[in-house]
Amino acid sequence: MTSESSESLSAEGDVRAIVRRFLLRSINIPDIGEDDDLFESGIVNSLFAVQLTTFIEKTFRIEITADDLDIQNFKSLNAATDFVLRRRATVQS
Amino acid sequence: MHRLLTEQQQLRYEEFNNFVASNVEPDAETWERDQEIPDAVISLMAKSGYLGASLPREFGGQGWDIVTFGLLNEAFGRSSSSLTSVLTVQAMVSMALLKWGTAAQKAVWLARLASGETVASFALTEPDAGSALQSLTTAFTRRTGSDFLVLNGSKRWITCAQRAGLFLVFGKLEQQSVACLVPRETPGLEIEPIRELMGFRAAGLAQLTFTNAEVPVANVVGKPGFALSHIAPVGLHFGRISTACSALGLLRGCCEVSSAYATERKIADRAVGEIGMIRSLIARMGTDFKAASFLCYDACQSEDDRAPEAFENALTAKYFTSRAAVNAASDAVQIRGASGCHASSPTSRYYRSAKITEIIEGTTQIHEDLLGKIFVGRARAPAGRSAPGAGV
Repeated sequence: MTSESSESLSAEGDVRAIVRRFLLRSINIPDIGEDDDLFESGIVNSLFAVQLTTFIEKTFRIEITADDLDIQNFKSLNAATDFVLRRRATVQS
Repeated sequence: MHRLLTEQQQLRYEEFNNFVASNVEPDAETWERDQEIPDAVISLMAKSGYLGASLPREFGGQGWDIVTFGLLNEAFGRSSSSLTSVLTVQAMVSMALLKWGTAAQKAVWLARLASGETVASFALTEPDAGSALQSLTTAFTRRTGSDFLVLNGSKRWITCAQRAGLFLVFGKLEQQSVACLVPRETPGLEIEPIRELMGFRAAGLAQLTFTNAEVPVANVVGKPGFALSHIAPVGLHFGRISTACSALGLLRGCCEVSSAYATERKIADRAVGEIGMIRSLIARMGTDFKAASFLCYDACQSEDDRAPEAFENALTAKYFTSRAAVNAASDAVQIRGASGCHASSPTSRYYRSAKITEIIEGTTQIHEDLLGKIFVGRARAPAGRSAPGAGV
């Protein structure tokens, strides 16, 4: 696992592709819908939530704190992608 | 594994081993017999910075990397699993708080934890909810018009609870999981020591009973609904790293004691170590030690790298090393025979303590369930798409 350069992660499509790749590798499923609920579907194990947190922090150089603990931020591919884009926009503004 | 360590890590490891040889090994058996560790020993550990080993310097910690934290636990685990448990629970609470605590919580507590002024305890297990975390019944309720929560319930098998000044207590608040800091002096908290364990006897286990104990809402760590998915896993992760490395130290002790005995002890002018069956036992524990060393190093280094696979690596290291420690301790007693069963030999302590490492921070069976799912899932993955941790 290597950190992506911040320059290469600006595009929404890039962020989505990187998050998707992590989800597929973590959950070991062939594909995932962009709004599939990761937690309600029962396909993730008890380590997944903290693995996803660590992945986002490391890959996108974002610090996730208690204020970010909202299931809407992490429940699906779209949710996690949107969260990363919002936080990156905040950092860059 | 030694060759993978930096010069600084090697120097610190030597320091830890010197500390243990002077301050732990000579009295470790007495502490087990007395079921208590003197305050002076904890103070000396605190003074040496060991209780804040992995906390950042900005909070008064040592800021050591996790590999160094692992080495610290390995060195202490060589002589006293009970004393190492203080490092374990301190790290579990400290690192969960560091990650998910509010600025105010960190300001109040982290410096105290780092200095050792406060010793912490991780209060998760309940009498009827050991590994089944979803079954927690400890209840936090809101008091209308108040900034306090009311806490009722009980926790059992809580390591270091006899000594701790701060508890990170897990329970339910309006059907959501919640984690909350509860100071020892909170009215309504009763602490009842649990004695006569077979091993880990000086680890200060206790049962906690909360009866209408009031705690400030501001003491909630993270947010309700995330205690079991985000807060507990961080604590348990560092608990597993600590326990794996502690078991590794115990495993090293078995190798060292057994090898020394095999050299010194003679039967009919023949060293025990010349007997093939004894060599087989020592070969197994020595090889397990090497394998476990790499797994523990990998778990620690992947955490230092902030890699998502660190959580899986800690599971693997704890699972393998605790089982290897149990086998090695059994063989170490066997090699020494009757003398190995006596308190004058560390092997009897190793034997009693090793089993505990298979139970704390998730039983072997819980680890097998999780790791089994991970490995089976990996086989399901499309070709070329390996899961985190594969091939690490």
